[in-house]
Amino acid sequence: MMHAALESFCADPVKFLAPWFVLLPAFVLLLSAAAAVVMRNLIHAALCLTLSFIALGVVFIALGAEFVGLVQLLVYVGAVAMVIVFAILLTRPEQLEKSRSVFSGIGPAGGAAIAFGLLATLLGFIFASPLAKKPLPAPAVAPVANIGEALMGNHVVALIVIGVLLTAALVGAAVIAMEDQP
Amino acid sequence: MTEFLENAPIALLAWFLGILGSFGVPGWMLEIISALIVIGTVIGIFLGLFALASVMERKILARVQNRFGPNRVGPFGLFQPVADGIKMITKEDLVPRGADRIVHFLAPVVMMVPALLVLAILPYGRGMVPAELDAGILYFFAVGAGTEVAVFMAGWGSNNKYSMLGAMRAIAQLISYEIPLVMSGITAAMIAGSLMPSAIVAAQGGFIFGFIPQWFVLTPWGFTAGLIFYIGALAESNRSPFDLPEGESELVAGHLTEYSGFKYATFFMAEYVGMFAICGMLVTLFLGGWQAPLPFLTIIPSWAWFLGKVCFVAFTMIWVRATLPRLRIDHLLAFAWKFLLPMSFAAFFSAACWHFAGRGLVAWLLSLAIVAIPYLAFGIHFSSRFAISRRTYRFSE
Amino acid sequence: MKSGMRKAETGEDGVLAHVPLPQKILSGLSFPGSGLLKGLVVTIRNFAGSYFEKDRLTTEQYPEERPVLPENARSFPFLIYDGEDPEAGMRCVSCKICEKECPPQCIYIIQDRDEAGKALKRPRVFDIDISVCMSCQICVEVCPFDSIRMDQDYELSSYDRFGSLMLDKPKLLKSNTYYHRIHPTEAAETDARLEADRKKKEAAAAAKAAAKKEPAKPAEGAP
Repeated sequence: MMHAALESFCADPVKFLAPWFVLLPAFVLLLSAAAAVVMRNLIHAALCLTLSFIALGVVFIALGAEFVGLVQLLVYVGAVAMVIVFAILLTRPEQLEKSRSVFSGIGPAGGAAIAFGLLATLLGFIFASPLAKKPLPAPAVAPVANIGEALMGNHVVALIVIGVLLTAALVGAAVIAMEDQP
Repeated sequence: MTEFLENAPIALLAWFLGILGSFGVPGWMLEIISALIVIGTVIGIFLGLFALASVMERKILARVQNRFGPNRVGPFGLFQPVADGIKMITKEDLVPRGADRIVHFLAPVVMMVPALLVLAILPYGRGMVPAELDAGILYFFAVGAGTEVAVFMAGWGSNNKYSMLGAMRAIAQLISYEIPLVMSGITAAMIAGSLMPSAIVAAQGGFIFGFIPQWFVLTPWGFTAGLIFYIGALAESNRSPFDLPEGESELVAGHLTEYSGFKYATFFMAEYVGMFAICGMLVTLFLGGWQAPLPFLTIIPSWAWFLGKVCFVAFTMIWVRATLPRLRIDHLLAFAWKFLLPMSFAAFFSAACWHFAGRGLVAWLLSLAIVAIPYLAFGIHFSSRFAISRRTYRFSE
Repeated sequence: MKSGMRKAETGEDGVLAHVPLPQKILSGLSFPGSGLLKGLVVTIRNFAGSYFEKDRLTTEQYPEERPVLPENARSFPFLIYDGEDPEAGMRCVSCKICEKECPPQCIYIIQDRDEAGKALKRPRVFDIDISVCMSCQICVEVCPFDSIRMDQDYELSSYDRFGSLMLDKPKLLKSNTYYHRIHPTEAAETDARLEADRKKKEAAAAAKAAAKKEPAKPAEGAP
């Protein structure tokens, strides 16, 4: 067993190590996500969350979903993480102490139960769906071009609707911002 | 001769690997060695550019102010970066007592990583792309987003109000200018029909009438988008007139306040490497990448053209720094959201019209009209509100 | 002296007189963003001009290029001697007026005495502490013997706070030739005055001698 592993490593280490390119960032993802939950220091928790966003992007890229991984990085690391951090900075510590959410009474055990319940539901639906029973399709040749063609072809209505929605949001934001205080 | 110089870097690498291969080095190891050589060369060139830029910037600023600039260390002061480096390394590395030590330590590292990673996708010459990614442009912006995290970490980890204010300004600026930057970059990708940098460069090849290069910057939409990209690049690399996150005079260097010695040098290096990287992106997207401006100039190898254009853009950035004063934070953000963003939409629309009108003279004029009208409208609108008039005093006189 | 200020681009009356063509064209234009272009043209002209017009660069590169000091520039006092030998030609007679007048009291003088203890008309010790001296020139003005004058040497920094800034007699004594070199007009004037004084004295002495001779004759046999 060991001998065979060593032999295949020596034959082509890049190929042998290939699964680890996915597994390693996946471990980082799990660890940093767990750290983000456990950490007492809010900023450290936010930074760990950012690390888990990065690790998720790397996992996507390692799995061959280059476009999704890069968009994950651009949107989550570039924007969402910064919004979270800003939200933490603009909140005073005393406000955090006072605020009680609906779920604050249930304790860690209750929280864990809810989290596992959610996970079980999701997994149940994923494995029950017909997609899970089909064999995996072969990876696409040029993913980005394919994604572009799919967006402009089959899903063009969705794309345009999202475009209108985002434009409306942007115009709204601009109108709100246009009112200058002299 | 031209052919030889053009292919020299690739041929040199192949020759070296061939020698290694003849010694019986296995294929997978050759691949790794080849990758390491490419990485080392690219990083080496950019660190060399950084060293050169750090002294040339001071010399150019000095010349604009009719001074000599640093000319003491070595011939023409060219060894100044060596002296600066020795000074930086031997300086004491201070960490404030209340600082978050881990975050404070990691910030310069996190700053350096994206600055070096983005170098991977730039096409340095014909067939010279270290990593030919399908979504290269997207990669550039996605990885570049990491600098925001680094700036925040530096500002928060220092436990200093100036650092924090500087970091918050910097993040607000980076996020605001990222949008016009990406929007204007997308126009080039749209016209080229690809997110791959080498394809975008290839789309700008060839000459109209045998002498006008088909660079995107020579079309009205490309000029507008290129200018917006340039302004965004200035802001993203924290350079004057958008250097207010570091504002030495009011924020004592912002998020860099509590950094000294090698950590500060790392920030400095990352900033300059990032500046050159974004200049390289600007050259790739709008200035024709490694393409020569005139047919007979193709005797100069493509990588030299790329390097020359990057240095030219970097020079203009220093020139702008010597000219324009720092903006105020609200003006800065208003400029991004109320002027650059609508203008980048106009450039986007103009590019689309240019493409569908057949890319000829009529298309050129149409696209000019589409960018010129909003520009003039905005200009008149803003200048009517900020008209220069004689200063009036409320209490004296 | 080179002047740092070049002729203003716009004349006093606001007329664009010596403005080069690109700026003239731009100054007539006014469109959104033209102000930025005008600024860029100004800076690039300064950049390029600094390579071609030598009078733009007003920097003196100090160790190689030295400033030509104006004649009345002064740093700290020194003592003048005539002739070749510093000790013999020393003009100072140890009258100590400068020591008493010096506002920060940086001058320290001990009069020389011979073996018998008789005071001699020269100082044994003459020290000036230039870390205290404020270059006020009062010592020069009060000196009745024109022996103390202001030097122009400005490269006086040292690694030692006390020793090297305490100038003693050998360091202070400089020749009249040196004085002529650094302050030619003033030195010529002083020399002329001294010469006139000497002549007057000689004449007076001669007259006195002659006067003494005349009445000396009857006086000779008087006692």
